[in-house]
Amino acid sequence: MTWRAALLLGAGALTLPAWPAPFLGVAVMTGLVLLLVALDWALAAPLHAVGATRSGDRTVRLGGSATVTLHLANTSGRTLRAQVRDAWVPSAGARPDVPPERMVRVAAGDSAALPVRLTPARRGDRPAAVLTLRSFGPLRLAFRQRAGRPGTPPWTLRVLPRFDSRRHLPEKLARLRIIDGIQVTRGRGQGTEFDTLREYVVGDDVRSIDWRASARRSDVLVRTWRPERDRRLVCVLDTGRTSAVRVGDEPRLDTAIDAALLLTALAARAGDRVDLLAVDAAVRATVKGSGRPALLPRLVDAVAPLQPALVETDFELIAGEVLRRERQRSLVVLFTALEAGALGEGLLPVLPRLAARHRVVVAATHDPVLTGLTTDPPRGPDDAYAAAAAWRALAERDRVRAALARHGVTVVDAPADRLAPTVADTYLRLKALGQL
Amino acid sequence: MTATVAAPPAVQPPHRRARRRHRMLIPLGLALLLIVATLVAHAVDQPDPADRGFLSPVATGDDGGSRLAEALRGQGVTVRRETDTLRALLAARPGPATLFVPAPDLVHPDTVTALDDLPAGSRLVLVDPSRRVLAGLGLPLTPDDRRWATRATSPDADDRPCALPEAARAGTAAADRQRYAAPAGQSATRCYAGGLVRVPWRTEVVVIGASDPFRNDRIDEYGNRALATGLLGGPRPLVWLDLDGPAPAPTFGDGTEGPPAWSPSPGGSAGTTGDGQPGSGGRPGQGADRPGGGQREGDDGADDRADGRQPQQNPLWAAFPVWFWALLVQLALAGLLVVLWRARRLGPPVPEPLPVTVRSAETVLGRARLYRRAGARGPAAETLRAAARDRLLPRLNLPPDTPSDEVAARVAALAGLDPDRAADLLHGDEPATDRELLELARELDRLTRTVATRPDHPNEGDTR
Repeated sequence: MTWRAALLLGAGALTLPAWPAPFLGVAVMTGLVLLLVALDWALAAPLHAVGATRSGDRTVRLGGSATVTLHLANTSGRTLRAQVRDAWVPSAGARPDVPPERMVRVAAGDSAALPVRLTPARRGDRPAAVLTLRSFGPLRLAFRQRAGRPGTPPWTLRVLPRFDSRRHLPEKLARLRIIDGIQVTRGRGQGTEFDTLREYVVGDDVRSIDWRASARRSDVLVRTWRPERDRRLVCVLDTGRTSAVRVGDEPRLDTAIDAALLLTALAARAGDRVDLLAVDAAVRATVKGSGRPALLPRLVDAVAPLQPALVETDFELIAGEVLRRERQRSLVVLFTALEAGALGEGLLPVLPRLAARHRVVVAATHDPVLTGLTTDPPRGPDDAYAAAAAWRALAERDRVRAALARHGVTVVDAPADRLAPTVADTYLRLKALGQL
Repeated sequence: MTATVAAPPAVQPPHRRARRRHRMLIPLGLALLLIVATLVAHAVDQPDPADRGFLSPVATGDDGGSRLAEALRGQGVTVRRETDTLRALLAARPGPATLFVPAPDLVHPDTVTALDDLPAGSRLVLVDPSRRVLAGLGLPLTPDDRRWATRATSPDADDRPCALPEAARAGTAAADRQRYAAPAGQSATRCYAGGLVRVPWRTEVVVIGASDPFRNDRIDEYGNRALATGLLGGPRPLVWLDLDGPAPAPTFGDGTEGPPAWSPSPGGSAGTTGDGQPGSGGRPGQGADRPGGGQREGDDGADDRADGRQPQQNPLWAAFPVWFWALLVQLALAGLLVVLWRARRLGPPVPEPLPVTVRSAETVLGRARLYRRAGARGPAAETLRAAARDRLLPRLNLPPDTPSDEVAARVAALAGLDPDRAADLLHGDEPATDRELLELARELDRLTRTVATRPDHPNEGDTR
């Protein structure tokens, strides 16, 4: 029953002084109101005759808005008057166009569309949780409501990473084209590979004449060169406990994802093949970069639901997976944190195996808090102790760097907002040097 | 191709918590069980005076009094059972009698005052009367502490001699449960540590705190039978007031027919005894009561007025019209409807799957706090000095294995410091207090900043 029934009874109470037998009046009025309530309840549209479906956006970029429409089909013979609450998880930022307090009217056999605008606050999968329908009678004295009826139509909105480093892409692509252009005119050199043989024309570099081929064809042939293509690139995202650390306002993992996306976009444009692995204690996501055109969307879709886990990353597993998947020599970019404990005990033992087959880059986000502790002038004894602890952490990090460098690993350590362009620069430099 | 591996199920909560809960619950539950079992057993064991057949001369159950009645009849005592207070009083009227009231709390409050209105030489025996009954009779007795269960004691327990011959003859008996205390100066006879008290009031009143000596199941224990027959026996006839439940209010007859009518005032309505009992039978006793009669008449007059309206009726009822109460009831029903309306929510609240969050530099700050708590000024100072040296050496173009005094001299020259002071800063003793450590940290910070801002390498131009 609703507030209207209570109001009716309360209003009826005011007539009691006029009744000859007031307690009889109470009984009569209560009975009447209950009868009306029962009648109204019986006349409400049945819940089992209401069907709910959804349509709308499946994915949205973080920071954007999506619209998912809920369709209510009334297959009963009565008009449906209902309050509808379509509950999503709070971080989905759902704002229904029809608020739950407002009454929705759906004529018999008709259907209604209830759009919900979603502005998610977090990356990942944001599911619709519960649909609740409260079907009122014509007098709105009583309602029918039952959990799970109609069933909640499942819908998951995948919130993709923001990919803020997109803005660096044009500049990096321009640099990539410069590398291409320089090497095509320069001919043979580092970072180029054999392309084709063609006939000599005046002006070609005589050093690129292929004498053996010329002897076979009785014509002078020159070799042409192009920048190396079809190199292999593996992005490994560490989703273990060190990736949960918040740097600034977002976890390290989000920074790593951002950098990996920029690197993938760049490498895909350069014609390289990109694979992705996300690993902590188990493999969380894998993307194989064979179908080139749709690579970036597939990759974004795969990394979107990744969340940091409070487990120690299994570097043994990472090395095993990379060695198993990548037969050819590839560039392995490992997005992790430069922590003496995690890397020293996990990565260093397996690094020789990995570095023997592949070129390894370790990309880490550097913590601005640590820098602040070491550079700010100390104000109290606490600051002095904190500075000592921070210097010690930095010294440990330098030791890890040195140990990694001994194995021929390139270490990229940059603050969160500079990580993506720095990693891209490293890739371009390695490509220009032909070290892929 | 693209595969997202599902997260493993959350780590199961350890069994230790469940075991700890068991460790708390099992002893507490056992204790609770014992307490409840004890209370239930006690409640079952103790007879309730309001039960039908409690200390009734015709009840043969455990809490009945049939064996006591038989024993009394065997001694030649006339036992007359009455189920109405007024009839019992009238039955005791002709001559000295013993009025036995096993459940005085069931007697209607208005008639309690008349219980001792008996002929001279009579005895009134009350079993476990409450404070209300004692006050109604005007007895100078107050209930004292009450035992959890009845105890069998000797008559002169707690070393006070018992002057009651019946008790002395009976010896040890189970009479000590509810104890009564008489104010000093009263000529009360006290036995069984206060469980049995005799007061020579308007008539002889004997108050006993336990029902055990009279009950069928306990009458054969100790001297219970001797005590019960002694108290109730003797040459007087016994009137046994056997009430099944709370007695109804006394009715006031004004004629000579109909139900038995009763007048509390002895002088006012001698002829209103409508059950054929001669009204003059009470005369001898009433003569003895004369001195207090006038005062009691006034009391009873007040009782008369109090009985003029319904006893259960709340005076608040009449203060408002009926519709007002009906209005309140209906508004309460409307409130109930509001409650029912608000009680149904529009769907459950939705939980948010929260991500794990680790604050940045958590371990570093934790280590700093550990240093502080351990007072590790030496290691902290050494770390700060090493870091400062690492920053200064490249700045001064010195190899890492430069002797310490040379470093100090170069630093002092560049920063304009006293060489001893610089050596003390870079290689000094460990600070003794937190304040010294803070000073050291500040000095080193200042020094590295000064060196960093100096124009580089005065000898750079020479080497070119």
